[in-house]
Order: sequence, then C-alpha cells, then structure tokens
Amino acid sequence: MTEVTTMRNSLHRARAALEQRPLAAAVGGVAAVLVVLWATPASWQTSTLRFAVPIALAAIGGIFAEKSGVINIGIEGLLIVSAFSAIVVVDWLGDGGATAGVPNLWWGMLIGVLVSVLFALLFAIVCLEFEADQIIAGLAVWLISLGLAPFASRILFDSPNTANITRFENVTVPVLSELPVVGYLLFDTEPQVYIMLAGAVAGWYLLSRTTFGRWVVASGENPKALDTAGVDVRKVRYAAVLLSGVFAGLGGAGFGLGTLGTFAGTGDTVINGRGFIAIATYLLANYHPIGALLGSFLFAGLNSMQSGLQAAGYAIPTELIRTIPHMSVIVVLVLVGRTRLPDAAGDHYESGED
Amino acid sequence: MRDRLESLAERLARSSVVDRLVISLAALVTAVLIGGVLVFVSGAFASCRTGLELGGATFCYNPMQVYYELFLGALGHPLEGGWTLTNYSLATTLQQTTLLIFTGLSVAVAFRAGLLNIGTQGQLVVGGLATAVTVVYAAAVVPTGFIGALVLIPLGVLAGALAGGVYGAIPGALKAYADANEVITTIMLNIIAVGITSTLLSWQFQDPNSPNPQTAPVPEYAEIPTIPGGFGGGMDFSLLALAFAVALMIGIAWLFARTSFGYELRTSGIQPGAAAYGGVNEKRMTVASMTLSGALGGIGGAFWVLMVHGRWLENVPSLGFDGIAVSVLAGNSPIGVGAAAFLFGIFDSGGNSIKTATDVPPELVGILTGFIILFVAMPEFFRLLGRRYITVDAARPARADGGDAGVDDGGDDDA
Repeated sequence: MTEVTTMRNSLHRARAALEQRPLAAAVGGVAAVLVVLWATPASWQTSTLRFAVPIALAAIGGIFAEKSGVINIGIEGLLIVSAFSAIVVVDWLGDGGATAGVPNLWWGMLIGVLVSVLFALLFAIVCLEFEADQIIAGLAVWLISLGLAPFASRILFDSPNTANITRFENVTVPVLSELPVVGYLLFDTEPQVYIMLAGAVAGWYLLSRTTFGRWVVASGENPKALDTAGVDVRKVRYAAVLLSGVFAGLGGAGFGLGTLGTFAGTGDTVINGRGFIAIATYLLANYHPIGALLGSFLFAGLNSMQSGLQAAGYAIPTELIRTIPHMSVIVVLVLVGRTRLPDAAGDHYESGED
Repeated sequence: MRDRLESLAERLARSSVVDRLVISLAALVTAVLIGGVLVFVSGAFASCRTGLELGGATFCYNPMQVYYELFLGALGHPLEGGWTLTNYSLATTLQQTTLLIFTGLSVAVAFRAGLLNIGTQGQLVVGGLATAVTVVYAAAVVPTGFIGALVLIPLGVLAGALAGGVYGAIPGALKAYADANEVITTIMLNIIAVGITSTLLSWQFQDPNSPNPQTAPVPEYAEIPTIPGGFGGGMDFSLLALAFAVALMIGIAWLFARTSFGYELRTSGIQPGAAAYGGVNEKRMTVASMTLSGALGGIGGAFWVLMVHGRWLENVPSLGFDGIAVSVLAGNSPIGVGAAAFLFGIFDSGGNSIKTATDVPPELVGILTGFIILFVAMPEFFRLLGRRYITVDAARPARADGGDAGVDDGGDDDA
C-alpha cells in the first residue's frame, strides 16, 4: 500500500501545483499533447477524440451537478436516453433529409438534449422537492433508462437495436485545417467533437469566471452562506442539475449521431458504463472542466487502443481487452483516493431551518 | 456509550418498520400506475390489428391485461380452470425468488454496513463459474450417486461463496485502504467480471461438445434435486433450495440482531464515527462486510448453476441487479428481503407470461423495477401525500433506505 500512497501523494502534489500555476499548467499541457500527437498514429487520435465525446461532456455536466451539492450518478441514464432518442428522431424524420430547412441530424441532436434535460428535471425534482437519497435516485434513473430504451426500441423497430442512420460528416474549417500537427485533428472533424471542445471551454468559463459559477460552488460548499446572501439555493441546484442534463444530452446525442449511427439496447446498452467512467474522470480532474476533457482522452484513448489491438489480432482474448478502460478506472480511483467532495454534496438543504 | 447507541438503533429500527412497509407498498403501487400509463400510451406507437380506437389513434396495449399476465400469469393463472399448485409458472416464480433472496441478502448486508454494493451481479457471475468448474473437476474423483451429491453440492456452494467473497473483498479493500468509491468500482468490476469469466471459459472451461459459450455440465446427481418431483413440468425448482435460502435469511437476521459482529456492522452503517469510537476497526469492517456480501452473491451464482442449468452459461441473467431492487424495497431488512424477492420473482416469471400472451416488450419489468427504486428513495413524497389526505402526527421517521448515514456531518468526506 505504501507505493500507492507515494504515487497518490505525488499525483495530488502535481495536481495542486498545476492548479496554483495555471499558465505553467497550460503550457505544459500543450507541450505534452504535442508530444503525444507526434508520437501516435493519426487514426488512433481521431478515434480517441470521438470516443471522448460522451465521457467528456457527461463529466462536465456531472461537475456542475456535484459542485452544486447534488451527486448525479444518473448521467449514465442520461447518455442512454439522449443517444437513443436522437437516433429515433432522425430515423422518424427521414434519414439523410432535412426538416424546416434544418438537417434532421440536428433535430435529433435537439430532441436528444431535450429528453436528457427532461430526465435531469425528473431527477432534480425527486432530489430537491422530495429529499430523495441522491445515489439511489441516480441509480433508479439509470435503471429506468436501461429499461426504457430497449422497451421503446422493441415497439418502434421490433428489436432492441434501432435502425441505422447516416452519421454526421466531417466539417472542415478552411485554412485552420491546414495547420501542421493539430489541423486535421481539431479543424477537420465531426460536429460533436467541436461541441465537446467548445463545451469544455464554456463549462470552465461558466464555473470559474461567472457569478453563476460562484453560486454553484457556494451551493455545494456552504449553502447556508449562499442563502444568507439572498440567493435561492434550490434554484441554483435546479439550474446545475438541468445543466448536467444539457451537457450529458449533448454527449449522448453527439455520440449516437456522430459515432454510433445505431443504438444497441441489449445488456448494458451500447453506452456500456461510459457515464460511470465520466464520474471517475471528473474525480480524477478534481472537478476542473478542462481537466475532465483531458482525462476523458485517457479513457477514450485506452478504448480506441483496445479497438486497435483487437483489429491487429493479437493473441490477447478480446473479452479481456474490452475491459481495459474499466480496469483503468479502478486504477485511477485508487490513485486519486478520496477526493474532497463539496461539503454539502449529498445533503438536502432546507432554507430557513433552525 | 454502547448501551446508548444500542437503544438508539433499536428505537430507529422499531419506529420505522411500519413506515417502511407503507412506503414500500406505496412505491410499488405508484410504479405500477406509472407503468400502466406507459404501457397504454406506448400502445399508440405500436402496430396491431385490433386495439382501442380513441381520438383517431389506435391503442394496442391493454394495461389491465398486461398486469393480469404479470401478477397472475406468474402464479399460473389461478383464477382460470385446471390450476394446480405445481404449475410451471409458479415454479419459475419460486425459482427466481430463491435466487433473488441470495442476491437481495448480498446487497442488504453491504447496505446495512453503509456500503452500496452494486457488484452483486459480478460476484454472482464469478461465483457461478467457480461452482461449475469445481463440481465438474471434483466429480472425477468423488463417488457417484447419493454420496457424490452429498459431497459435490456443498463443495460447489462453498466454491461459489469463496469466489464471490474474494471478488467482493476487492472493492471492500479498495474502499477501506485506498478510499476508492465502491459504487463506481463495483460497477466497473461487474463489467470486468464478464470479461474475465468469458476469457477463462474460452481458454479452459468451454464445453467441447457445444457450440454455445458454456461449461461442461455437472453430473446429474450433483444438481440440486427438483423437489417435489412433479413440480412444474420440467421446471428446475427445488423446495430444498428455497428452504436453504429462507434459512440463510433467518441466519442473517439473527447475525444482525444477536451477534456482536452484526451489531458492529449495523453501527458502522448508522454512525461510522461512533462505531470507530466504540472500538470497531472501520477498515476491517468494510472488507468483512463486502466479503460477506460477495459470498452471498457467489452462493446465488452457485444455486443458479446447480439448480437451474446444471452448468455455467456466459449469458447470466441480471439477478444481481435485481438484488439491489429487492434490498431497497425491503428497506434492507433480511426478513423483508424474502417478501421483496417473491415480488420480483413474480416480475421475472410474469415477464415471461407478458412475452407469450401480449405484444408488450418484456423490458417493461425493468422499467417498473427502476420506478420502484425511485419511489422507495423518496419517502418524503408519500409523507407529503399522506399529510395532505390523512392527518397523522408526523414524528419524522428514519430514512427508509438505511444507506445514508452521518447526514449531519458532511465534513467527514474531507480528505
């Protein structure tokens, strides 16, 4: 156990140092990324970015909920319903077509996010109005989604799997895509990857640079103080949980429409624990949205590496390779150890008690 | 100190028994109502030849029929003619009840210790494989017939309990010594269990005579005998197994109520700080309760192998996940687990009747399960409803889930 403790201490020290010197962290991060980009094959990089979409966006959403004091373990369920409903909408409106001048894929995106927000609202009402145990309620949201998606799929498609749709195509930004090393990766890619990158920056700005972000943090750390300052803790928590629905919805719908193209509903569904991986990701990143984006690259990178290993036909059994990202989640949790949860996370706050 | 704690725990437990029962029943009824609406509405999107015409839409599904199949189909349609006590559907219900008692107890033991073990599924998968492999290999050196059964069945159950216990101890140790959140690690370990077992299967234990991913069958005499023999037209259910499950249930209840280990386990769940002050080694208790929880999950796997299939199959049903629902609905009380397991046994068996008698997707059962858990988690909802329509002097009762300890001290989570 001492090795673990030593490694964990150095990780914590490194993380603390990075947080104290944001500029150095940014420069170092960029340098590290460039080295990785130089050393790895392009196909692995593009597939890593795509696999990162649901993990990164769900993690950023989870950060807002948990920072506000509501642990949203149901984001796995939000990913499931948003990916499923987005694909259903596109199939229903007509694959490859456009409705009211907007491509059907974008209608799918919109509805996917709306459905996810609806589920987040349900979760918020259950937790904030009826003081439900957040972990159990989150688990219930996951189980309901896990049943609902294949249930609806069987009615609509006579199968737990949906029909296939034509996925998002690459959007190329002129000039910028010609940049060496990063151009093809960041400026010649699919819409959901742009959404993920923009979402990470927006999440970071919102959380650390705006009044709303300060309210969210205060609502999780010291709700009484926020209440005393005249801000409605309940409203802040509602907003934060709904925001987690928006982010998870973008992640799920983007993943479904950009990467999957069809929703497989058997077993754990095609989402297969990505929402839970997202939770591990934001714990690793200590609730920092940009950190969560980078952390998602770790798990997504392992995911696309296992696809590569499988394709290369190494003698390692595929069933075992497939669990590499999940094993690494455990390793990461052990290294991170107990993160400092917001003080009031998991607790119900009643205004005007005493 | 210890006396005060004990009386506090007793008072909490007694005052909330009725409360819990009412909330569990209310959660069940509400979930069934919502499920009925869902079935009715989704019928408008299905295609069928005959249905209820209403406002220009055809509603294909009749919720009353669906629930008739779910609840009475699971008992073998007792209101129709020709019903016998030993019918196939009732045997299925009791078979599932037996297995769900094991998994429900598994979740409840961890819950009572303040740990949320989502990993019962993985512990059952691993334990089941260990049982099948142990019995298949041991059968070669053990005499056949009745003697063989006497040796092999306990040996198989022991192997399942051991493997499940070890697999449960892993997240326990990770929680105790590395502070890794057990909810996330157990969910990951469930997925990893599937990977490990199917790798082991294809590497060593695959039945060479079968194209399906499964182990070789255990010898027939090593299967838990179907008792009574005429039960259920070939349905593998054994009253012996049910009796064992009930005995185990009473044993766990006794463990909680009458032993110092059970007392320390419960205190760790309610007041970890006080338990530590009273001399409980918190870390060791975490590992011990997760090991016991995992062992119970493993026993579930052993009975799934020895009673149901006579071999381990790669496609393991979600008994472990349903165990969470069983335990939550039972308010984590071992005796309550028996009743809740029977209800979810009905769900499993009734899901089959729904599939054969209606066009409604059997996934409905999973949705109902989710809603039941959701409503049990929000007792305040029913208290508000209750206060609106019935005047009760509402002494605020304990939380129904039993898992949320130390609410008043969020600062405990600091690193």
